[in-house]
Amino acid sequence: MSRPSSFSLRGRKALVAIKDERDASIVRRQFERLGIEGVAWTPTEPVDFAPDLSLIDDEFLPLLQPAQRAFLARSPVIALLGTETPSRLKLVFELDPASFLIKPLRSAGIYAALVMAFERNERTSELKQQILKLEHRLKSRRVVLAAVLQIMHLHALAEPAAFALIRKTAMEQRKTIEELSAEITAKGMLPRAAG
Amino acid sequence: MTKPSVPVGIICSQSGPYQAMGREILKSAMMAVDEINTQTEFDFSIAPHVRDPRGIVSEYHTVCDDLIRNVGVAHIIGCYTSASRKQVLPIVERTDRLLWYPARYEGFECSDNVIYVGASPNHNVLPLVRYVLDNLSREIFCVGSNYVWTWETNRVTRELVSAADGHILAERLLELGESAVGHIVDEIVRRKPPIVFNTLVGSSSYDFIRAFHAGTKAAGLEIPMLSCSLCEPELAIVGPASAGCITSSAYFESIRLPENRAFVARWKARYGEDSSPSVDGQSAYVAVYLLARALQRAGSSDIAEVRRAAAGYRYNSPQGPVWIDGGNNHCVLTPRLAVSNPQGQFDIFWEADAPVKPDPYLTQLDVAVSPSRETSAGGALPNAPHLRVVK
Repeated sequence: MSRPSSFSLRGRKALVAIKDERDASIVRRQFERLGIEGVAWTPTEPVDFAPDLSLIDDEFLPLLQPAQRAFLARSPVIALLGTETPSRLKLVFELDPASFLIKPLRSAGIYAALVMAFERNERTSELKQQILKLEHRLKSRRVVLAAVLQIMHLHALAEPAAFALIRKTAMEQRKTIEELSAEITAKGMLPRAAG
Repeated sequence: MTKPSVPVGIICSQSGPYQAMGREILKSAMMAVDEINTQTEFDFSIAPHVRDPRGIVSEYHTVCDDLIRNVGVAHIIGCYTSASRKQVLPIVERTDRLLWYPARYEGFECSDNVIYVGASPNHNVLPLVRYVLDNLSREIFCVGSNYVWTWETNRVTRELVSAADGHILAERLLELGESAVGHIVDEIVRRKPPIVFNTLVGSSSYDFIRAFHAGTKAAGLEIPMLSCSLCEPELAIVGPASAGCITSSAYFESIRLPENRAFVARWKARYGEDSSPSVDGQSAYVAVYLLARALQRAGSSDIAEVRRAAAGYRYNSPQGPVWIDGGNNHCVLTPRLAVSNPQGQFDIFWEADAPVKPDPYLTQLDVAVSPSRETSAGGALPNAPHLRVVK
């Protein structure tokens, strides 16, 4: 299934933590135009829904409770910057923002920041998934190596031929090389295809 | 007793690649100003301060700065291309002035300091592409000027076409003012696409339409051309080659409304029987009237009060009822489709049943909706485009 376009923001729900009323009203107006529901929040309050996005004013930083930081990490965060000093930016980094806006806010820029945040978040999630997958495969290398050595010994094959045999069998049995290798090391031989 | 006057800036290029449209905007704006200044309905007169940026992008910033700093205008009418509007935008926002922008544009902008009087993308691109998908083809060859209007129009077109399992055959871009169009026409003749979508601007478009007409005629091809911008004065510039272009617009001279008949009569009395108003020109005329009525209602030039007074006020303009959506400062307009004829006019074959709310961010667009049918105005064309909005 294709993921929703980052350009279409209709129906999304955002957590909005903004101190200045003028900035807040600009965000409210722009959200209305974009079809986004904004829920005003101050970091001391509990939240009873899972936002698609959070806008956090740097005036609320630092967030002292790890639970708040963990909660915000579940969806993309846009940081609202009042000053660009390194000390302030250092605090902003703890939010791991996907995008940012400079205060005082204008309607121009909000759409771009939102689209950027959703797209960045999506790409980061994909990268994280990819890293998990690669880490898993890396861990399985030991098992694959053991299986290759076993097949080399059992069938008197060279390493490339042994690996090719495992790969071919894995494809025939619709398994990953890692799964098949685990079975080989457990059974001491190439497992027969089920059915 | 002399009425107090309100200074209003008018920015439109009278030379450069899109000078023809700049002149149309100026002619229409001045016509509205002169009418308003003689009407007793208004207890003020408008003092127009015209500036000509000559189609040079950076000049727009300069003339806008001059109008605000040296003339002291609170309201400015004008700009044609998005590039020019983007030059003016930072100044009007910083100084809290109001730009009344008459041209249709690609959307994805919403400033509190701009009133967008022209069509939004859901007023012109959507009806046109839906019509094509519904009636003509799912394969489109795109030719346009290399700037934001074409980029965004082509993106929206691509999304709609892709969702309908069609595809964009090609996307050929030319720099603004470029006249070397032969290679694109050669490619069209060679590849024979079912439809060509023209988003070229100004002189590039005129050159292309003439070359396209000559090239396809010589090859014995009949390929329909689409446009979201072609207007009557441009048909006159291009000549007979302009006939047969399917065009989407909120305004055509041929609209059968009493307000338009009166407008066209006044136009011809002023500018000659052979001349025609244009969509962007008429939009500038509407902008001046919307501004004047808002000034009258607000009793002040203050932009916050004028904007408040302008929002939602219904004006029976030449193109039909028009009002400003206070939520996004864009105008509610009636989309129409027409085909250009050899007499330099447009034959309207479809119009929306009612004025359509502007959707500058295409928030309500559902690209996956399959094309379907609905009745057209006057029943002239049974297969009319259908705009599905998600509520």
